[in-house]
Amino acid sequence: MKFYFPDSQDLVSPTYDFINDEYLPTRVRQRDDVYAHEVAKPSPYDGILVSKAIVDGSMKGSGKYAAPQRARLYRLGVRKFFRLPESMSSLGDCGAFNYVDEEHPPYTVDEVLDFYEECDFDAGVSIDHVIFGYMPGAGESDVDDAWVKRRHISLELAEKFYAAVQERDSAVEPVGAAQGWSPASYADSVARLQNIGYRRIALGGMVPLKTHEILACLEEISPLLLPDTQLHLLGITRVDSMERFADHGVTSFDSTSAFRQAFMDDRNNYHTADGAYTAVRVPQVDGNPALKRAILSGAVSQRDAIAAERNCLAALRDYDKDNVDLDEVMAALAVYETLVLGSTPTKKSYLAHYRRTLEARPWKSCPCALCKEHGIEIAIFRGTERNKRRGFHNLTVLEAKMRTLAT
Amino acid sequence: MADRYTLRLPALEVRQGRRRIYCFAVDGKKLHSFAAVSRIRRDDGEQLHGYQRPEVLSHIRGIRKYLESDGAMLPNAIVVAFNDRIEFVPSLMIPTDTVDYSVPGELVIEVDESLSEAEKPAWLVDGQQRSAAIRDADLAEFPVAVVGFKADSEEEQRSQFILVNSTKALPKGLIHELLPDTTGQLPDSYVRRRLPAQLMTRLNGSRRSPFYRIIASPTAPNGYIKDNSVLKMVEHSLFEGALYQYRNPVDGSGDVERMLTHLIGFWSVVREVFPEEWSKPPRNSRLTHGVGIQSLGFVMDTLTEDVPAEGVKTVELKEALESLKPHVAWTSGTWKFSDGEERRWNNLQNTPNDVRQLTSHLLKVLRKRSRRR
Repeated sequence: MKFYFPDSQDLVSPTYDFINDEYLPTRVRQRDDVYAHEVAKPSPYDGILVSKAIVDGSMKGSGKYAAPQRARLYRLGVRKFFRLPESMSSLGDCGAFNYVDEEHPPYTVDEVLDFYEECDFDAGVSIDHVIFGYMPGAGESDVDDAWVKRRHISLELAEKFYAAVQERDSAVEPVGAAQGWSPASYADSVARLQNIGYRRIALGGMVPLKTHEILACLEEISPLLLPDTQLHLLGITRVDSMERFADHGVTSFDSTSAFRQAFMDDRNNYHTADGAYTAVRVPQVDGNPALKRAILSGAVSQRDAIAAERNCLAALRDYDKDNVDLDEVMAALAVYETLVLGSTPTKKSYLAHYRRTLEARPWKSCPCALCKEHGIEIAIFRGTERNKRRGFHNLTVLEAKMRTLAT
Repeated sequence: MADRYTLRLPALEVRQGRRRIYCFAVDGKKLHSFAAVSRIRRDDGEQLHGYQRPEVLSHIRGIRKYLESDGAMLPNAIVVAFNDRIEFVPSLMIPTDTVDYSVPGELVIEVDESLSEAEKPAWLVDGQQRSAAIRDADLAEFPVAVVGFKADSEEEQRSQFILVNSTKALPKGLIHELLPDTTGQLPDSYVRRRLPAQLMTRLNGSRRSPFYRIIASPTAPNGYIKDNSVLKMVEHSLFEGALYQYRNPVDGSGDVERMLTHLIGFWSVVREVFPEEWSKPPRNSRLTHGVGIQSLGFVMDTLTEDVPAEGVKTVELKEALESLKPHVAWTSGTWKFSDGEERRWNNLQNTPNDVRQLTSHLLKVLRKRSRRR
């Protein structure tokens, strides 16, 4: 089973100063920074997925790349730009979620193939249009006309894409995108894509589906698969079900969820082999909008806030070195949390979760290179450098789980 | 009580018209014991109080790093407004033949550290960030010069606050020219600009450089290429292009000599290929205009990305630039872009869009040529 990590310009700066919380003033974004595959050992994924919408922008804005970075990606190609080792592969797609609200995908087949070829991708997914809904028993006449249309658009563009790849004698391996709203419609899409000539097929729009629904689709699809056809699940990580997915012909998937949970999840921020912990929130006084407003309005004294923030960081670091006991850290955290939450009773306290994290000290026993280097800093919810490192750590946990499945 | 004591500070009382100001020095670590920051806020009756913004932590960090560095000094004075509770005691032994507008003596400040901020005898009018940096710095003491005045009202303090904080920033060109020849800690934004400014100054100053004395700067008033055009081109290449190979990402330094060789190598070929266009000012030539300098900078990055400095100036590079000749309109005629759009030669402006359009036009010509070969 191969895991692709979707690129969203997620890097960390190796020269970041954790004590003073600052970058080198001369730091150059992306070039001086490092990707997860450059710092996390072993490498936490088998390849990267890069969306045209992230690079070139789409309906929702200008993309995540600055113009000069985009120019360099096109100039150097994806392998050199991402500094990918030989063993890793690259997959391009359109980023269909970025134009999900449009009636029609905003790209032409030629534009997309230009993108794949100029960036020198190993493989590229045909243009698809996401169907947002699941009605297992419904036929074409039972569902929204737009769903039917979207499936046809996806198939039609897949056919044109395959033809363009043949015509240009492109080095990019074509991957057909299958859309559907039910096991039968997905299976029909896959069958048609195989007829066009595709031997690698990506299943799209399954992110909101429950695991048993994905399995129902795969059960309908797998009897139709030709012996050399491989399936990719777009945006799905259900580690517990991966073995069963694999039984039905899935050979690869991609997902950001393990990474993003490090800073997006309410509680499960720091993953371990058998569970997850809540990261300890110590927001920066000059980075937390609510706190900034409270200071500006005079409700909170800036000096008090700075003192509370520093006390938390010092106590956490001392605790990691066994110089203070847990209750002292908890007291410091409680003081700061009260300041940050203010008097609004609607916001809840995380203190109980912090206690659990700090008691277990999961980073002490983690074998990943980042936890070894940064210790407790990785468990602190604060700023992009700590949060993304924790995300990278989560990816190594996921990779280890995938490895045990494979054997 | 330990938190109540009297500070006696040698001071000068200076007369300015009907006003008196007091010049003295005090350990910056003690400043906050008698001077408060007047944070802006409104009370329940919407009445305005105070005038200061919150501390800017990044700014304070910058000053603090400077203070902790070797040989730091803060020569300009911090300004405070006093209430009536301070007293100036003139020296008893004042010679009679001295000037009459300045009287030596002692400033007597009763310090009570248990007082609330609002009750302190002085407000900080100017120097909030500096005094916060001294407070936070890892130093035992740091005496600073202070100028104080007795304020009639908070309204008067407010106008003084606006007056001292509305100074004009230094012109950028002057900073760029000064930057390479500075020592010690500088603010982060200047640290970042320092290497590009250094390269620009060297390009403008070395005889073998095609830019020799033609970049406009305070000391090269006859220059006709805008300093910012060259800076942008150099920065770009340094961060995203060909010059990055000479950079040390761990400390942000770079091999200036090889960068210079690289730049001179490329741009001297540009001058050889377009000698006339190179000698004209931007209003007569788009080559020396921001749009030309930047676009050709991108061409340099594309053609010489992995080329070592010593190998930049080659016959191949010259041939590549020669091949642009039929497709450029630096000084007359029209630009014919591949999407069919035509623009008069001087219609191109120094905007991101025009730079992008010209760059992709030039790169397309070069790509077509390399495909044919």
